[in-house]
Amino acid sequence: MTDTARNRSEEERHERLLDFVGYVLTAARALGKEPASYGPMRLVDTLTKAVELLEDAGIRDESVKGPLAVIRENRWQATSDPEAFGEALDEAIRRLVEVTLEDARRKEQAEK
Amino acid sequence: MVLDVAESIRTRRSTRSYDSTKRLPREVFEALEQAVLNSPSGSNAQESHFVIVQEPDQIRRVKRFAQGVSGNPAAVAVLCSNRVEALSKGGADTAETLRFVNLGIAAAYILLTAQSLGVSSCPARSFHAKAIQQLLGLPEEVVPELMITLGYADQPPRPKTSKPSREVLSYDRYGKESI
Repeated sequence: MTDTARNRSEEERHERLLDFVGYVLTAARALGKEPASYGPMRLVDTLTKAVELLEDAGIRDESVKGPLAVIRENRWQATSDPEAFGEALDEAIRRLVEVTLEDARRKEQAEK
Repeated sequence: MVLDVAESIRTRRSTRSYDSTKRLPREVFEALEQAVLNSPSGSNAQESHFVIVQEPDQIRRVKRFAQGVSGNPAAVAVLCSNRVEALSKGGADTAETLRFVNLGIAAAYILLTAQSLGVSSCPARSFHAKAIQQLLGLPEEVVPELMITLGYADQPPRPKTSKPSREVLSYDRYGKESI
């Protein structure tokens, strides 16, 4: 990587970090007055942005892809159909439980 | 192709995902200018101010403090209200209430003008007003009240969910359904 490319990439990372911090702070400031259904939506957006930031930093983990895909598909229902969005969150959590149990099984077998 | 008003109203949906590679042509900005200049205001007070942000770095700065703005729009129209002018030109009613009605009408003009030209849009109220005021260099009395993102959608619109017409529309008196 050339110095210019490295600097550009560092600058972009800096900008993305500021985007993330700005989003979370602004969302936190507003939630007290906004509709209750915005809370879950902002939280999952924060989660998505945090995972993207980690990926930018080279930290990738395929096991979270499934749960995040469920949220991505259903995010638009957060305000129009909070119940359906809640069910999507349940499904995402169920998939994460599967990942957790699979990890536990693998660990247990490795320890035997 | 330019859509007429009825077709623009029928087809417009809020868009939260834009093709970030597509910019808006000059004719769109000119049409938006006409939309705001021809938008009516109570007492003709014209206390509204509009900032159309189209420079990519400035859009990014605005988005940083506008959590309700989704996707990568080609432009963001920031609809502002001049509180001092609202009072001096329109009186207390305009300062307290009518300036929001005026902005709402202007917003509809912007949304439908955009739609008529094939440009998608989404209004957003979730942003930090003080931060946006600073970023845009707005005077103290000019306050941002609403944003409208503009650009070319990169996916089909979500299905529209509407209340049954009898819940939102009456004829002659509340609750009477037929024409």
